Amino acid sequence: MDYIVKRTGFALMTLFVAISLNFVLFRAIPGGAVSGLRCQHCSVKFREAIIKQYGLDKSKWEQYVVYLDRLGHGDLGTSIADNRPVWDDIRQPLVNTLPMIVAGTVISVLLGVLAGVVAAWRRGTLMDTANTWTALAFYAAPTQWIGILVVFYIALPLGLPAAGIESNTLSIFGPPSTWAFVTDRANHLLLPALTLGIGLYGEYALIVRSSMLETLGEDYVLTARAKGLKNWAIVWKHGLRNAMLPLVTLIALSFGYIVAGAIVVEDVFSYPGIGLATINAIGRQDYPVLQGIFLLLTVAVIVANFAADLLYFKLDPRVTT
Amino acid sequence: MSASIQAPPVPDPLGAPAAVAPTRRGFMRELLFGSRQTVVGLAVIAFFVVIAVLAPDIVPHSVTQQTGPVYGAPNGHHLLGTDDGGIDMLSEVIYGARVSMLVGFAASVVCMVLGGLVGVLSGYFGGKTDIVLMRITDYFLVIPDVPLMIIAAAIFGRSLLNIIIIIGVIYWTSTARLLRAQVKSLRERVYVQRARSLGAGHSRLIGSHIMPQIAPLIVANTVLTIATAIFAETYISFLGLGDPSAISWGKLIQNSLTGGAVFHSAWWAIIPPGACVTVVILACTMVGQALEDSLNPRLRVGHLSVRRFRMRPFSARIESR
Amino acid sequence: MRAHRLAASALAAVLIAAGCGGGSSTNAPSGGGIKTGGVLRVGSTSYIDSLNPFVAIESQSYVAFTMVYPQLVQYGQGPKIEGDFAKSWTTSTDGKTWTFTVRSGAKWSDGTPLTAEDAAWTGNLVLQYASGPTAALAAALTHVTSMTAPTPTTLVINYDAPVDNVLPQLEQFFILPKHVWEKYAGNSGKDLKTFLPEHSLPVVSGGPYTIRQYNEKGTTVYIPNKYFYGPKSYASAVALTYYTNSTSMIADLDAGNLDFVDQVPYNAISSVKSGGRFNVQSEQSSEVTNITFNSNPLKPKNRELLDPQVRQALEYATDRAQIVRVVYSGYAIPWANMLSVQSGPSSGINWLDPSIKPLPFDVTKANSILDSLGYKKGSDGTRVVPATTGKYAQPAHKMEYGVIVPNSLDFNGDRQFQIIAASWAQAGVKLHEVNGGDSGPAYALETAGNYTKFDLATWDWNEYIDPDAQLSYMTKAQWFSWSDTGYNNPQYDAMYKQQGTITNVQQRVALVMQMERIIANDRPYIQLVDEGLVTANTKGWTGFYPDLGAYCKCYYTAPHRV
Repeated sequence: MDYIVKRTGFALMTLFVAISLNFVLFRAIPGGAVSGLRCQHCSVKFREAIIKQYGLDKSKWEQYVVYLDRLGHGDLGTSIADNRPVWDDIRQPLVNTLPMIVAGTVISVLLGVLAGVVAAWRRGTLMDTANTWTALAFYAAPTQWIGILVVFYIALPLGLPAAGIESNTLSIFGPPSTWAFVTDRANHLLLPALTLGIGLYGEYALIVRSSMLETLGEDYVLTARAKGLKNWAIVWKHGLRNAMLPLVTLIALSFGYIVAGAIVVEDVFSYPGIGLATINAIGRQDYPVLQGIFLLLTVAVIVANFAADLLYFKLDPRVTT
Repeated sequence: MSASIQAPPVPDPLGAPAAVAPTRRGFMRELLFGSRQTVVGLAVIAFFVVIAVLAPDIVPHSVTQQTGPVYGAPNGHHLLGTDDGGIDMLSEVIYGARVSMLVGFAASVVCMVLGGLVGVLSGYFGGKTDIVLMRITDYFLVIPDVPLMIIAAAIFGRSLLNIIIIIGVIYWTSTARLLRAQVKSLRERVYVQRARSLGAGHSRLIGSHIMPQIAPLIVANTVLTIATAIFAETYISFLGLGDPSAISWGKLIQNSLTGGAVFHSAWWAIIPPGACVTVVILACTMVGQALEDSLNPRLRVGHLSVRRFRMRPFSARIESR
Repeated sequence: MRAHRLAASALAAVLIAAGCGGGSSTNAPSGGGIKTGGVLRVGSTSYIDSLNPFVAIESQSYVAFTMVYPQLVQYGQGPKIEGDFAKSWTTSTDGKTWTFTVRSGAKWSDGTPLTAEDAAWTGNLVLQYASGPTAALAAALTHVTSMTAPTPTTLVINYDAPVDNVLPQLEQFFILPKHVWEKYAGNSGKDLKTFLPEHSLPVVSGGPYTIRQYNEKGTTVYIPNKYFYGPKSYASAVALTYYTNSTSMIADLDAGNLDFVDQVPYNAISSVKSGGRFNVQSEQSSEVTNITFNSNPLKPKNRELLDPQVRQALEYATDRAQIVRVVYSGYAIPWANMLSVQSGPSSGINWLDPSIKPLPFDVTKANSILDSLGYKKGSDGTRVVPATTGKYAQPAHKMEYGVIVPNSLDFNGDRQFQIIAASWAQAGVKLHEVNGGDSGPAYALETAGNYTKFDLATWDWNEYIDPDAQLSYMTKAQWFSWSDTGYNNPQYDAMYKQQGTITNVQQRVALVMQMERIIANDRPYIQLVDEGLVTANTKGWTGFYPDLGAYCKCYYTAPHRV
């Protein structure tokens, strides 16, 4: 229990640090936070009025207090570029990115387990070496580069969709049927998720391989083998079970990476998720939106880490401190 | 922090050399050349360092002038063909090594200085200093690095120096954690105690007793951070936040996408930069991990009984948890 | 004014006379046998940044305005001015009053009547806040004093002087639905800039389409407006999809997911052409690219850049031919005039002074000019400007400058920068790139500190056929609205006012040419190239007028299936 309390306290404290860092970073912008103001056709006076409207003429401390207060009320601020609440601007991209992250994780875990099991089962062979090194190489390769290769070697030859989140005509004459919607989305999700999956599975493969090796040498496994238990049953019953603890925790901990990967993958595939929203906001210098995105991502990662801690505790109560 | 459980040691898939301890000279030799992988890794790094240093003298063509047709295929004159600007790809990849390696080395130096300072002070002085410094470190460890990096790059502007500083400043935390643990144990060692009782000052103790001991670990960590920094640089460059006039591997990957290499079937413009990144990162990881393992066997049993591979920025964070 | 600064889209402007098939009037359904229906799927790397004409900058937005807002007149094939919402018009004998008869019985897409009153209200609104919130549309109404709507079908526009180019100017005037916008007209007009029609869908439209779905950087769906007064759309919908990069767009075109690409990225033209699967059209566009100099006489730093001689030397150091070859794959021509090819003979009146030609690429000449000015090369090869007094007074410093490069260019801006930086370096001038972000932030960088902070930029203008708008951008009155140079020349400003009221075409042409020469000599810009406009469509569709984007409602209504 002590452990949980400690971890919770830590997560909350981190959250506070993140929130404050978020504030500080965005006040350090050279040229001021309104440099992205849509002021193509507006006078200096108009500009000043807007600065006032955004509260940027107040002292830093006042701004900080206002910022905290608003956050407390779930208000992420107002976009400088389109004058809407930041949340309205990033909700849809977030919703779009979520399935990609989930699919990417699923693909990477599947690939990882498969590669890990094969490598462990055939340990010491060429198969093991090739397998492990392939996984490592993909893991070391820049995700965007994998994405471009996927477009070049998979999307174009096969004519698979390499852009966007859905067909441009999908919802043109009113809402499509659920089936049409799901298949179309899945179709567009496939390659970005595959890219994420390929880029990440190396780590899972190594863990699975290690855990498997650990168990496969144990007496009870040897006994099971001698008893003629089927290979897959041994893998499943003894090997994979042992790998579950690190695997599950690792999935939660990998959240930060997969988000990072999603940002560049979305750029490659013109996928309108949170990564594209980030890039747009950078281009428009829409700092309130950037701030909002960064805050949400940070919170998500902190929560994922916290979840990993809890999971870890649950799966292995030996853990102290 | 959390998770100081003792899980059974895991066989290292990369086959790092066993920890050896005898004489110092023999130790280093054993360390560096003890395993084939370390040798290969060192050779690869050395190769790219030489290329990077000699770049201006060995490039076959100019990297600013058009010397061939747009997306000309590889031939005797242009061994890796030309890119969308008719610029020699081989020359660009060579120059890319210069910039990417510079970012990698410089950022890890920043990282070492910052992380080293915090780690050594924290570990050496202990007590309140330790608590405060480590708290700060821990909070920063959890904040997602890539989004933070992207936003910092967007805010502070696109220059090589900024990128080096940003990457360095973001990744110092894991170094600090690592060194702190090492220094802490050293401090308790008998001879340091003895030196202290003989009246040696802090600076003298740190300078002549602690530093020499942790220097190899710092080297190992630097090598690993180089990989992280090179990887991070590709992200920043790819999102258009890199120094626009510096040709790095990340920039070349971005060029291949914006330049439309895909629909010219110009594999020579797509594959080399990403492959270089992959190879260098793998090499750094092989060397760094082998070094670290032999220097600090305790690390072999890391968090979650998993050896993390520090190619990815984020992995660095978990390792030290 | 859709003076589109900005480059991203293709659509801008071209209007060349090349026949694109079709009947005599671009709008008219040319007889039977035309297949209607089908979704026209358009791909672009330019996006609609807003449907609010007071804030939008991107040229794709101006295409959307054309589709959603009625105009009194528009360009048809030719290009010739033809009536749109206005059926006919007359001029008073003193030339100061124009009376338009507009369509009767027209309706907005929500069923509200669309009358001359909407036009008069929009016009007066724009005039009221012309120096502030509505400046973006004000240039279309230069010299207008008021608008009235005595009857629902009659619109009277009063001018303070007889004006030569009334119709081309009014072509840039979009009529907004009064019943929607009325409530934002208070608060000194400030709310006009914060109301965004794209967030209350479907957009109330008076044009051939209403917008049912809007995704700034995704797919935007145009659905025919059943109340539209003019020729209806052949397609049953238009789906405009934005792509972050040309690779994903061309991949989609290849995969058969697009019918029309409004501007094929220059680096993809050869691959789109190969295989013969698509109809590829190319022509000279009205888009002129340039190196922009901060020309504010009060700029405090690097004042040597204000010197026309320095600028001339730098033009000698600029290799346009290489830019054309590398950046445009050959689809552009070296250019030196502030006005585009489209203002040349093809427009009916040749506005272009033939004496204005690009200087040849000659680094030696550039070096000798800079040497003669006393800017000696330092040991690192970069020239040093000695401390000076007088007109360009300033302390000694190196010739090192930042160049703002916006993101949203329709060509590879980084590549172009590289080429310029490489050849200027040979003349002892060192450049570094400053990322400008999208158009809005990039423009903010230029205007920062009242045009005192920036030195150089590379950008482009997407121009109109009638030179008026382009000429106006160099006046002081356009500071903070369209001026991107901070150029301030009272003599020029006076000439600009004067040319607007000359009704004799030959006299106006002479004056305009004189203004072109002033700009060419002062060089607030080194003009680089006149871009080519290359479009592609699948063979299943025909009836495209690539040059009429943002000029004619037929741009989307005329294409039909084969």
